[in-house]
Amino acid sequence: MIRTFLIVLMLSLASAASQAADLQSFGRGSWSKLRAAHDGQPTVIHFWGLTCAPCLVEMPEWGKLRTERPDMRLVMVAADPVPQDPARVADMLSRADLGQVENWAFTDRFNERLRYEIDPAWAGELPRTLLIDRDGKETVLTGVADLAEVRAWLEAQKKR
Amino acid sequence: MRALLALTMLMLVAASAAAQHQHQHGKPGAAGPEAFTATPAFGPDGTLWLVRAMADKIVVVRSTDLGKTFSEPVAVTPEPMNLDWGPDARARIVVDPKGGLVVTFAIFQDRNFNGRAFYARSRDNGASFSKPQPITADQTSQRFETAAVDPSTGRVFAAWLDKRNVAKARAAGKPYPGAALAYAWEDGEAGFGPTSIALDNTCECCRLGIAFAGPGKPAVVFRNIFPGSIRDHAVVTFKDEKTPGPVRRVSADEWKIEACPHHGPSIAILPDGSYHVAWFTDGSARKGLFYARADNGDTPFGAPRALSTPRRQPARPYLLANGTALHVVWKEFDGTKSMVRWQVSHDSGRTWSDPRTVADTVDASDHPLLAANAGRAYLSWLTKADGYRLIPLEDQP
Repeated sequence: MIRTFLIVLMLSLASAASQAADLQSFGRGSWSKLRAAHDGQPTVIHFWGLTCAPCLVEMPEWGKLRTERPDMRLVMVAADPVPQDPARVADMLSRADLGQVENWAFTDRFNERLRYEIDPAWAGELPRTLLIDRDGKETVLTGVADLAEVRAWLEAQKKR
Repeated sequence: MRALLALTMLMLVAASAAAQHQHQHGKPGAAGPEAFTATPAFGPDGTLWLVRAMADKIVVVRSTDLGKTFSEPVAVTPEPMNLDWGPDARARIVVDPKGGLVVTFAIFQDRNFNGRAFYARSRDNGASFSKPQPITADQTSQRFETAAVDPSTGRVFAAWLDKRNVAKARAAGKPYPGAALAYAWEDGEAGFGPTSIALDNTCECCRLGIAFAGPGKPAVVFRNIFPGSIRDHAVVTFKDEKTPGPVRRVSADEWKIEACPHHGPSIAILPDGSYHVAWFTDGSARKGLFYARADNGDTPFGAPRALSTPRRQPARPYLLANGTALHVVWKEFDGTKSMVRWQVSHDSGRTWSDPRTVADTVDASDHPLLAANAGRAYLSWLTKADGYRLIPLEDQP
């Protein structure tokens, strides 16, 4: 029993390590690059934070949705007001099974500037989800997202 | 199923322990979050005292030429400490009427943001500080500790957000949203006396504001949790040193949020007894930065007045009563620069000067703060690009 447990534990740690998130540094100008890279494609952008408790509760749900909808273009942005240790950000993403999606993390302490580039009226509250359709039309979901709404939006994009 | 859950939890613990281990052997604090604050206090002799939280240490410097030059730093923390780097956390300093200094600050005890609040004293005019001592014996969690000197008695009052009752409720299987507003008074020589809880279920992660309504009567402004997880502001004024008064709501913004905004209020009380509060909200009734006044400690607060517009990210308001003048500053962002905007009122907050920009910067900055000395008010602001600045506010009473 103990041996089985240890093997399971080691395998799970090994798999967590192999799925370590490839974290891109989000600084000044990153937002326009990110947007340009997904131009013309329905995209879901989820802003979260290591220091945001409701975000951490919600994260595994996004991991499940990602598994359920591998066609979804999902971008995760860790937007902590004080930049966090990238190793811990990557660790959380892996644990939520989100290590393989496009991942960014705020690395510039000039939080006002980063937020302004994304949305001048965003006061920084997390979590926050942005649904961007083919034409660039944005739908903002503030707080913990209703994933039924996200699913419905994804379906609506298919039909267009 | 239960076995699977236990296994999963064990694995999470193991993964977290592994990450911790890795972190300790990496470059210390190289990529981690860091405290970056400077908080001022003027002494009775006009000396400017400044406490700086820098990554893992706290130091005090002083200036006798209004911030033009500073002394060599004196360490408050003898060894590196895991300082609370939260956006609304701050090492603070107060000067008592005899010139004694009290520094307060908090550390993180663990990775779940449980804090421990400390204080250190200097009785030799800032040449050295006592070894930091916990502000309270309870070890659960304390954050956002704020000290203030009662101007009538010279006694130091401290308030903070305390989670001891969360632990008790959890042990009893009961829900306990938020934290408690806790307080203690200095007990003379040794430090702070016994801790009391003024109020349960306040929001847990915003700074507090303190002003004095009279001898032994601190007034504390804080983000409260009203029914339905509405996180709007309230003021509690003490009837005497040991008796907190009722909760007075500042404004019904209706900000329903199950999270920590890390964006606390500010309070000032003028000699006419009027109360003045400035705060940030993202409520359904209003969004942005606001100011409101009340004629005294018993009357309701008047209609909130917006400071700036939400598209300029107005944030971090701070109020100061200087004689009969009332100053307010806050931070704004115009797409390139962060700036400190300032207004002054000479009629108890009824009418205000047009907002003016008194400082700006092109990189990250601490919250703007105000301090007064010899009848003059000053903006105190720490910035990444331009360092620390003490800027006199020109329009004086």
